[in-house]
Amino acid sequence: MLSSYAITIGTIIVIQAIAVCGLNVIVGFAGQISLGHAAFFGIGAYTSAILTVKAGLSFWTALPIVIAIGGLIGLMLGLPSIRVREDFLAITTIGINFIVEALFRYIPFFGGALGIGGIPRIMLFDIRMKGIPFFFLCLFFLCIVILICWWFTRSWASLAFYAIREEETAASAMGISPVRFKLLAFVMGTSMAALSGSLYAHYMQFINAGDFSFPVSVGFLSMLVLGGIGTIWGPVIGTVILGVLPELFRPLVDYRILFYTLLLLVMIRFQPGGLLGEKSLVKNILSRTFKRC
Amino acid sequence: MVAPILTVNGISKHFGGLKAVENVDFQVFPGEILGILGPNGAGKTVLFNMISGVYRPTEGTIDFRGERIEGLPSHLVARKGIGRTFQIVKPFTSLTVLQNVLVAKGIMKYGHLSRIWGPWGSRKDINEAKEILERVGLIELADRKAGLLPLGNLRRLEIARALVVGHTMLLLDESFSGLRHEEIGRLEALIRDIRDSGRTIILIEHNMRVTMRLCSRIIVLDHGRKIAEGEPKDIQKNELVIEAYLGRKGVLDVP
Repeated sequence: MLSSYAITIGTIIVIQAIAVCGLNVIVGFAGQISLGHAAFFGIGAYTSAILTVKAGLSFWTALPIVIAIGGLIGLMLGLPSIRVREDFLAITTIGINFIVEALFRYIPFFGGALGIGGIPRIMLFDIRMKGIPFFFLCLFFLCIVILICWWFTRSWASLAFYAIREEETAASAMGISPVRFKLLAFVMGTSMAALSGSLYAHYMQFINAGDFSFPVSVGFLSMLVLGGIGTIWGPVIGTVILGVLPELFRPLVDYRILFYTLLLLVMIRFQPGGLLGEKSLVKNILSRTFKRC
Repeated sequence: MVAPILTVNGISKHFGGLKAVENVDFQVFPGEILGILGPNGAGKTVLFNMISGVYRPTEGTIDFRGERIEGLPSHLVARKGIGRTFQIVKPFTSLTVLQNVLVAKGIMKYGHLSRIWGPWGSRKDINEAKEILERVGLIELADRKAGLLPLGNLRRLEIARALVVGHTMLLLDESFSGLRHEEIGRLEALIRDIRDSGRTIILIEHNMRVTMRLCSRIIVLDHGRKIAEGEPKDIQKNELVIEAYLGRKGVLDVP
């Protein structure tokens, strides 16, 4: 029998992996840096919480609205953000994260500093989802998200994304509108984050602005960089490793952000492709050992 | 008299105080190869960037087949059938050579959401892309990552992509620079072949000999101004051109 502790860790990891997959669409596929992904994770969580607690909708009726609002706000905030590139985009997205967090914290409608509590559990076939069933529900959503990403990498749109990521001027000389495709990336990525946030809200049953602060965004980015930017399974692998490690080294939990930052630096310096990306050390070693067998 | 396909009228581009291009006019006629010559910093690439929509001109107009295109964003100019290459090659490095061409094929996909979301390699698209690779001589390298190719092949890849986009006109920016002698000959044949298939070409070139052989007309820029225009044999004799390239004659033999 799995301990409830392990299930809790597992569920959180799966929920985060959905958000990291969304970040991967923006950072990996489209090459647009984002350091404010937690804002959209939060927007999903708050939207779902408000719709269920205050408007009395069920999780399932709220879900399409949550995803749509996540994508819509991604579009609205993406529109001014993509006017700037690289470092400036990074700073802009950090700003977005702080602003969104502040709105949650200081506007009474969002519950202010107390946050929103009493968020109902998800009902599915008259079962209140918690524990193992909820874990599998999240896993189901993660599979859908991965399937979407997989489908995406086989579409022409992914070529357009890569083209913009690598040579924006050349891509537009090829008739591709960089604005349109970058916005598409933001909408896809932020709606995945909103889905993830919604699951998070209904799992925790209580949310608070601090759950969606800038360090959470750094965490998401670290998971992505560790696993492999722009790969399909990288976000999942990265989230699992960074989700489990702090539990194994419990006393180091307070130094999590320090660890994340160091990890980001080390990875970008020595393994920019991540564990599953191009020129990956792990992949090399694995393929060599398999060849020998 | 044939109507021009492209008319550039009094075009200027200023970057602050720097007048990169100043009041340049010229016309391009269908099916010709027009050469743009000039020393470094003469404003040739800036001129291309204005035609292809990378820069908005400070002044002047550009007319392409009866439509004003100055100030249009790059991707909309491309969709009018103007393809271009870049002096500093810009391959999509993580994609294969074939995929690079397929990106350009997307120009036909606009307005077809189902096709944007469909697989990148429909059989028809791949066959058409392969035909183009065959034509530029890259077919053997179709599945190679573009980032691994040497410069000569990358220049061909640039032309392949421009060919897909530029079904009416191609702007070739120093496609010959950095090429070996035998590559130059092959590229010349390719460019003639493209012209013969009914496309209009403007090319920027440093290599005088190649320009003289390929182009039916040449315009010469110096310090952002047009200093000469005419057939290759006239350009060769033009005093202003010689001066721009070689310096003032007889500076030393002052009595």
